[in-house]
Amino acid sequence: MTVMQIVFLITAVVTLFAAFRVVTTPNMVHAALWLIVTLFGAAVFYALLQANFLAVAQVVVYIGAIAILMMFVIMLTRREMRDRGPQTGKQWPWAAVIAAAFFGGLVWLGQQAALPAAPKADVPKDSIAQLGQALVSPNGFVIPFEVASVLLLAALIGAVYLAWTRHQS
Amino acid sequence: MGILSQPVGAIAAWLQALLEGWGLAPGLTKVILYLIGAGLVATLVQVWVIFLIWFERKIIGRFQDRLGPNRVGPYGLLQPFADLIKIITKEVILPAKADKAVYLLGPIVMNAGVLAIWAVIPLMPMVGMDTNIAALYTIAVGAFATLGILMSGWASNNKFALVSAIRTVAQMVAYEVPTVLALLVPVLLAGTMSLHGIVKAQHVWFVIFAPLAFLIYFIASVAEVGRTPFDLLEAESEIVAGFHIEYSGMVFAIFYVADFLHAFTIGALAAVLFLGGWRGPGAEAFPLLGVVYLWIKAFAVYFLVVWARGSLPRVRIDQMMDFSWKFLTPLALILLVVAAVLDHFVIGLGVWGRALSHLAANAVVAWLVLQYLEHYDRARARQRPMVAQPGQYPEARPPAPVETSPETAS
Amino acid sequence: MSEQTVMIQNEEDTLLSRFPKVVRKDERKGYEGYVVEANALTDFARTLRDELGYDYLSSVTGVDYLPQGQMEVVYHAYKTTGGPALVFKVQVPRDNPVVPSLVPIYPGADFQEREAWDLLGIKFEGHPNLKRILLWEGFHGHPLRKDWREPYFEAEHKPYKSRFPEGKVFRAEERNPFGKNVDYPAGFDPAQWTPDNTNALIYEGLGRVEKASDDLPTEQIVVNLGPQHPSTHGVFRMVVTLDGETVVDLEPVMGYLHRNHEKIGERNTWLMNMPFTDRLDYLSPMSNNFGYALAVEKLLGVKPPERAEYIRVIMAELTRIQNHIFAIGMFLNDMGAYFTPSLYAIEERELILDVFEAVAGSRMMVNYFRFGGVARDIPEDVMKKIHDLAFERLPRRIDELDRYLTNSEIVRVRGEGVGVLTPEQAIAYSAAGPVLRASGVPYDVRRAEPYSIYDRFDFDVAVRYHGDVYDRYLIRMDEVRQSIRIIQQALQQIPEGPIMSGKPQYQHRVPAGESYGRVEGPKGELGFYVVSTGKGNPWRYHVRAPSFINLTALAEMTKGQKVADTVIILGSIDIVLGETDR
Repeated sequence: MTVMQIVFLITAVVTLFAAFRVVTTPNMVHAALWLIVTLFGAAVFYALLQANFLAVAQVVVYIGAIAILMMFVIMLTRREMRDRGPQTGKQWPWAAVIAAAFFGGLVWLGQQAALPAAPKADVPKDSIAQLGQALVSPNGFVIPFEVASVLLLAALIGAVYLAWTRHQS
Repeated sequence: MGILSQPVGAIAAWLQALLEGWGLAPGLTKVILYLIGAGLVATLVQVWVIFLIWFERKIIGRFQDRLGPNRVGPYGLLQPFADLIKIITKEVILPAKADKAVYLLGPIVMNAGVLAIWAVIPLMPMVGMDTNIAALYTIAVGAFATLGILMSGWASNNKFALVSAIRTVAQMVAYEVPTVLALLVPVLLAGTMSLHGIVKAQHVWFVIFAPLAFLIYFIASVAEVGRTPFDLLEAESEIVAGFHIEYSGMVFAIFYVADFLHAFTIGALAAVLFLGGWRGPGAEAFPLLGVVYLWIKAFAVYFLVVWARGSLPRVRIDQMMDFSWKFLTPLALILLVVAAVLDHFVIGLGVWGRALSHLAANAVVAWLVLQYLEHYDRARARQRPMVAQPGQYPEARPPAPVETSPETAS
Repeated sequence: MSEQTVMIQNEEDTLLSRFPKVVRKDERKGYEGYVVEANALTDFARTLRDELGYDYLSSVTGVDYLPQGQMEVVYHAYKTTGGPALVFKVQVPRDNPVVPSLVPIYPGADFQEREAWDLLGIKFEGHPNLKRILLWEGFHGHPLRKDWREPYFEAEHKPYKSRFPEGKVFRAEERNPFGKNVDYPAGFDPAQWTPDNTNALIYEGLGRVEKASDDLPTEQIVVNLGPQHPSTHGVFRMVVTLDGETVVDLEPVMGYLHRNHEKIGERNTWLMNMPFTDRLDYLSPMSNNFGYALAVEKLLGVKPPERAEYIRVIMAELTRIQNHIFAIGMFLNDMGAYFTPSLYAIEERELILDVFEAVAGSRMMVNYFRFGGVARDIPEDVMKKIHDLAFERLPRRIDELDRYLTNSEIVRVRGEGVGVLTPEQAIAYSAAGPVLRASGVPYDVRRAEPYSIYDRFDFDVAVRYHGDVYDRYLIRMDEVRQSIRIIQQALQQIPEGPIMSGKPQYQHRVPAGESYGRVEGPKGELGFYVVSTGKGNPWRYHVRAPSFINLTALAEMTKGQKVADTVIILGSIDIVLGETDR
């Protein structure tokens, strides 16, 4: 077992445990914090796969922006931080069955797929430059990239507009 | 491999040989070496904070016409140690109804976020993680410092701390944007996001290429660190101490260290991005000299932070938001576009030609900005209403000025 | 007959003819003004304000005339165009003192009426919020009543003979052991006591109030700024209701430093009160001395010699300078500057305190003025020091402060348009001093009703017209410059001569009567209302504290501002808790 594998196993255990706690902890803020641990674990997986850019982007976007805003919202809006009722609904056995079936299916799929024993090619040394070029080159993904930008811009303007009219009235 | 030309490499090679000589697997020795390196950097910079505390107190003292610490040790140099002993012997108080785990984790997360930045700072050639996302990484781990503040602000169960946490998030969201935009200018000029690459590209310091971007980066990172004039998150006169109001003893000391270290860290980052990092005469041949150069440059930027602290009052939260969204962000965006477009045309001019044309473009933008600011100033003067006209209320005098001679009237 | 007497005659005719039965002149010897029946008070006050131009109600206080079985409420009203006071009184029986409240007509009476209720038990009918202000709800009785006695009572007047029985010092605390030193009202149990509902929210961890409006549904949060807070300038509390960072409501809570100055003052002899006034506004002791000396000198009918008058003016103006630069420095601190401006200010203040120490022997508790003069003459070398300060150092350093601060961008954006008080509001709320003058009302007691020798000096009444925090800062700068001008003139004109009229004495025989002496203190109009019955102690000793009364307008100024502004608005009022709480 290499060091990488040990790191992977530890991260996997921590991430799974954190994900489990996200849905089981009765405290909203704790749930958000566990979610951050989960997201960070995902970032570590990316780093282990040598996808450094994705790892950092994961931290910037998910932890730096989304998770912090979630915590912020929880802190500001919920007076009662602690949920006193049971943490499961009535349908939990059905949900468990479906989840287990889904997981089993995934495992089966993974078994079926013929994964290569070793990567076909090494991860390129400067993947980020290639990524950047792919996103903006006319032969690459420039159209989806721009369309996504326009979509986000529309959403942004829409949000500003909504807040603006509310403010004026 | 000489110890002078490659000090860290030489030591690492020696250690690796030693460990492998004990029969450890090569993979494991590598991990052990990484751990030693990380531990060394983290420890050294945190110990360095002891000096920073003395320095800041001394300098602020001089700004304020007093001596600063001067009793413990020569020039009061041992004062931080006395403080240290005092603070670690204090009781760590857990407020009632505080969320214990989150409360105690807050300072650790914050400190970790600050320390993580040091992983990518090129202390000298060949030292410091060389990765092509380092510039982005510094922003990413900065989020952890904010997260730590948010955690402790919420967990303290204190209204002042909560207000501080709310302010922190607003502040971070607002100032991360101009920071990133300003940071992209050196990235664009160097053509890489690796901090090593950025340092290597600075045959001429980027501060000459992009003085305005440097200014924006400096201001925005001062705001992210929460130093004067943007120290709203611990605004002493308003919310007492903000997020660390309930902390005491060693737990508070972690915040204290993180605060000073964060300020120095942005100094180091600014030095790497704009002031040539470890570059200096002889640094290529003797890398250890590079550390000295970097330290001096980082220290100079840190001095600016202390200077601001010693001389500026604090802005208000809405003014701070306005400053970021309505001024810094558009300006940084303009500068980025100007730099990108200009660089496309002048890239063939040689180092100095390129630098000077960028400088000229910056001067033009600066002039336009100053024009705009003057206009804004005049517009604001018109907005400030008078509540009374001169002469609306006559000067109060005793009635019947029988003997008052006219010349005493003013 | 001078014009002035004619005018006063007209006023008198108007008032007496308008209210034929219910208003009469106060005929008691040594007293002035009118006595108004309680039921006619509101109409009388309205006439004063709307028709005669007495728009500024400076002081409201009460006196307990135990032998006559009467409670008297004394009002001092002024015109903002200057001139002497119009005093009017309401006499009500002691056992059921009910007086109509003047808050609807003069909002500035708010805190003062609450104080009179608190300390004297006079009920003001129609007061919007008549509850105790300086004492807490569990206090037994109304301490300024003459028949009120503390749990351990020694004697009516000082000097107390019981402190030295058989020639040995006896510690009063020994007769007053713990547990027996407090009286509670009947049926009051401190263990069961809970604060009323408005306060309850403060004590909840993160308690919030639902907002009434249906705009963006945000929650409000009640924050307690103080009593232990770095920028309340002492032990002062502001209960702030916040919507985000915006102040929705603010209620000042004071009295943490209350020691019933006035009761102690009534038990002291006349002269013993002189050092006691130092403890009021401990940053400007000379002005406090000045006001008290003026009030008692009016009763005594003495006039200090020329040299003493000049010394008094020099000391009072030095006090104003040191108070204002200290206020500016601390104001910058409230704004968030890390002590640098305040330490620069303290440096100059120290030099002025050196002068006080040299002439009075103490830097802050000076005890320098006497009835009919001052305690000691200014030595030659100290005179030279004052000379250097007034002509060389202070003008230079004030210009320096001005250069560093006035055009600072942050100071301007923080101060401009923040905490605006219109002149109408300022007058209505009885604001005084820099707060009033920054709102465009050039009312300065030194000019409006010159006392001492202020009519001899050439100076401008500083006035600014925006009424915001920044203007209050500028006003202080201006006033420091004017004070330097006055000191320069005084130093050039000061004659040689005696510093006391008559020989110094310890026990003064003060003729019966009332008097109100007021000076333009650094914080505003500082008034002393004293009543003598001809005995060795004052029957009533009341302080019109500008710090206290200026706070009436605080809530008005802060509503709608940010929480950070609350702090600088409070700083711009410049309060000293020793005076506010008395």
